[in-house]
Amino acid sequence: MRRPTTSEVRRPATVLALLLVVVLVLPPLLSAYWIDVLTAVAIYSVVALSLNLLIGRVGLVSLGQIAVLALGAWVAAKLAFVSSIPFPLVLLIAGLITLVLGTLVGLPALRLSGLYLALITLMLAGAITVVLSTTNFPNGGPGFLSHTESSFGNPAVRRPDIASSDPAYFRFTVIVAALMFALALWHVRSRPGRAWAAIRQSEPAALAAGVNITLYKLWAWALASFMTGVAGGLLAGSVGKLYTYQFPTRDSIILLAVVLMGGIYSLWGAVVAGALMKLLPALLDDWGLPADLLIILFGVGVLQVLLTAPGGLAAQVPKDFARMGGGLSAVVRRRLAARAERAPTGTAPQEPAP
Amino acid sequence: MRRNGVFARLALVLVATTALAACSSNKSPSTTTDATTAPKCGAGTGQKATGEPIKLGAIATKQPGTDFTDIPNMAKAFFDCVNDNGGINGRPIQYLIETEQTDPGQVASLAKKLVESDKVLGIVGNTSIIECAVNHSYYEQQGFYIIDSGIAPECYSTSNSAPVNMGPRYSVDGATQYLIRQGVKKLVLDQSNVPGTGYIEGGFLLIAQAAGIPTESLKDNVPIQDANSVALKAVQAAGQGGGVVLNFTPPEALKILQAAQQQGLQDRVKWACSTPCNTDFLANALGPQWNGKLGVNAELNLTTAAGPDSELYRAVQKRYAPNVALGSFSQMGFVEASIAVKALMSVSGDFTVQSVNNAIKNIKDFKTDILCKPWYYGTAPLHLPNNTDRTVVPQDGKMVEKEGCFAISDVDPAIAQVRRIEASS
Amino acid sequence: MPDWQNFEPFIVSGLALGGVYSLSGVGMVVLYRTTGVLNLAFGAVGAMGAFIAWSLINTFGWPAVLAYLACVGFGAAVSLIYGMLAGPPLAGRDPLVKAAATIGLALILLGSMSWIWSDKARSMVLPTTNWRYSVGQVLINWTQIIALALGVLITLTTAVFLRLTGLGTAMRALANDREITAALGVPVRRVEATTWVVSGALSGVAGLLMSNLVGLDAATLTFLVISSLAAALIARLRSLVVTLAAGIVIGLVNALVTPIFSISPYRDMTPFVLAAVALLFLARHQQVSFARRIT
Repeated sequence: MRRPTTSEVRRPATVLALLLVVVLVLPPLLSAYWIDVLTAVAIYSVVALSLNLLIGRVGLVSLGQIAVLALGAWVAAKLAFVSSIPFPLVLLIAGLITLVLGTLVGLPALRLSGLYLALITLMLAGAITVVLSTTNFPNGGPGFLSHTESSFGNPAVRRPDIASSDPAYFRFTVIVAALMFALALWHVRSRPGRAWAAIRQSEPAALAAGVNITLYKLWAWALASFMTGVAGGLLAGSVGKLYTYQFPTRDSIILLAVVLMGGIYSLWGAVVAGALMKLLPALLDDWGLPADLLIILFGVGVLQVLLTAPGGLAAQVPKDFARMGGGLSAVVRRRLAARAERAPTGTAPQEPAP
Repeated sequence: MRRNGVFARLALVLVATTALAACSSNKSPSTTTDATTAPKCGAGTGQKATGEPIKLGAIATKQPGTDFTDIPNMAKAFFDCVNDNGGINGRPIQYLIETEQTDPGQVASLAKKLVESDKVLGIVGNTSIIECAVNHSYYEQQGFYIIDSGIAPECYSTSNSAPVNMGPRYSVDGATQYLIRQGVKKLVLDQSNVPGTGYIEGGFLLIAQAAGIPTESLKDNVPIQDANSVALKAVQAAGQGGGVVLNFTPPEALKILQAAQQQGLQDRVKWACSTPCNTDFLANALGPQWNGKLGVNAELNLTTAAGPDSELYRAVQKRYAPNVALGSFSQMGFVEASIAVKALMSVSGDFTVQSVNNAIKNIKDFKTDILCKPWYYGTAPLHLPNNTDRTVVPQDGKMVEKEGCFAISDVDPAIAQVRRIEASS
Repeated sequence: MPDWQNFEPFIVSGLALGGVYSLSGVGMVVLYRTTGVLNLAFGAVGAMGAFIAWSLINTFGWPAVLAYLACVGFGAAVSLIYGMLAGPPLAGRDPLVKAAATIGLALILLGSMSWIWSDKARSMVLPTTNWRYSVGQVLINWTQIIALALGVLITLTTAVFLRLTGLGTAMRALANDREITAALGVPVRRVEATTWVVSGALSGVAGLLMSNLVGLDAATLTFLVISSLAAALIARLRSLVVTLAAGIVIGLVNALVTPIFSISPYRDMTPFVLAAVALLFLARHQQVSFARRIT
């Protein structure tokens, strides 16, 4: 076993440190409003992660992840109301049920490729949204749908006992999100990740190399559904009351835009995507700018990414910083060299020798 | 470089297109000269207020298909006018408007932002599909008595919310009463499929039942794509001699009414609409074929009414908010702001959350010619101070009054309760 | 279950709705077959043109005909600019990428529309809407007929044009493989430009008709493409005739379900369900590996 290099140790250490900062240091510093906003960022970055994996690793595009999010939220809300299973378990079960549903859809849908797959997911998402607008979300009412029309005094989806306050729920959400990212990372680093890379590179070559394409494509699909389902459960606990308005088909398209902009070649791109989707609107609102500008920005961003910079912000920003850093250091070096030339003896100014 | 070239050209196109279109829409339809006498609001001193601002906040829904920002925008116009006239004892009002997209998490966090981060002293002008439902307990905890304009049921049934309107349920009640007076044989309610439809149809069903008229209750998803089918469905359900009550936002109601007209259905049944339809914009878009054929429940007086408050409303709109349409929505914003200013003027001593909300709570007998009856707050478990309505109909591009102030039926239990409270105080 | 008399008027409104779906669907398929781009901004371009026409009529007092021409011109111009800027760089890439790029255009237009024209009750009434005559107990107006007829007209002329004319062949070759087509000496940029202009003009016309038939509302008109896509998908983005037929069937089913109150709330699902079923049925012989475009 060779010793790990400094950078290999530094990377996870910095991530862990960052996580600790977010979980421990941030909540007391932020107002209730921004805690809510950042909770949403964490939740939607998990959804973005699912799409990031699908597009970036396997080359599949799904335009229905928001509908899957709604399904996950529905299942989690239903479980929370009709049972007293502890909340983390509710999340897990919601994720698993969503995984099963997603796989059932994936089995026939994955026979289509590229554009057709994207469009059929859009169609299915549209269908699910219509059904949800009629059946609504569970809010403690009777029957299978658990929905009652009277909106007086309906309870909110319960939260975990240890994390019922907003800051505590924020920490809980961040930890769960980090677990999802760890799950994604584990997949990417091990066999599924290599199989996906092979599939993305060339399907015939992968098949010839003995990769079970069907299995790995379904696995990616199932993983994406699971993560989005868990995110749905987190969302249900976060907002407490669910409405179809939170899951419009339009958001699936915006999700694609921000995932592309965030960058599909790095998992960090998903965090950027979540921030674009939920933090940027809040900031714009704070600065008094209309939210419509954001839609325009996303449109421009999509075009920019597809036309020129496939790596997205996650790839570009570090490169930009590196370039800036490189440029700065070059300037500094030149200055130092110029000064060295002008004072060849290299000594400090002295009185002239008597 | 190609990359820069593409971008520059795209940006140029975008800028050109938006500039062209922006030029077109910024011109308001009525390009009149500036009023030589500026309207006098509040203290009426004509001097700009320059003290430390008094902060007020509002939350309104703004998403495709539903835009209630006219209400707080008009309130802001009135506050601007007051600020130009000495403010509140020399202090201007700073009004923070937040918009939401029916996301409960967002709605809850916006209330916290206003109260805890922005530190507003009062909340005036809230108009949202779900805000009262999500935030009413929070306001009760924080001691805020809000003056709002609906729309969730909790706005009309909790202690810390007093609306200037009566909300979809009671406005639908009023429209229903109008149709019953027109002698319809069956009543159909068609509403947009948003949270609270069960609550809204409750009053409709009770009133129709008391009058012995059969009913049908329909819902449609918004935004509507197949208005023809929606209009047909409603007309068929109403049948011969029936009546249809619509409860939609103006753009959606317009789609249905136009589809009805295009199919010649405006004469097949009697049509009525709840208060959102009460805008001249809609009357104008409907055209002469609807003259007198659509009974709109008007929670407030005509925008063209005579009377000092109505005149001030029009003057303030023209001067401070020309892009806000004249109609129920902006009238509500104007009235809410007027009430808030009266409350603020009555505060003696420091302006704190307690003093401001106390003043708001103590408002009684606020008379305005925009409302049928004087408005009040008080300490009852629910508040429905506006429970007397008019009916207006479109006529040649404007809304005109057809029925003067009439009381909303107390077959609806909450109305009965409020009447009892009013009688005892 | 309502009786026949109740269904009858819905047949007409169904045909009208079907005309809406087919027109957009045909417009998108035509462009796809001639440039390889599935233009998801089809609705947004038309919508913005319609808003501009509305502003020209109501705010500037232009005569209606000029405003309509401006709308069509706008559609043609925006599409041309987009096609010229985004077409060549994306030419060799997957149709999915090209379609995703049009999403960018749609978002830009949608954001601009919401920003410039806020959400108010606006209506665009074409003069053809006032010309009506009755069929049975229902009134139909000329705008609905035009929408349907235009879909049919485009289908027929495009089918003939693409197959029989030189320019049409060039367009089909271009959609297939740009590089080889250019190597064969076909003036690709000119052919591409022509295609985009025609398609853009078509979306402008469609926008005018839709704003009358569906409503002058930015979000509704932009996302109408999703329902129209269903018709295009059933035709596997190839056959114009099937797109036309599918659009009409979807409109009919959607409308005919309306009077059945028990399932009426679900009628908006019609395009999606039909498209999903059709696609999965057509793909039933494919395997998950080597999933191909359905050609």
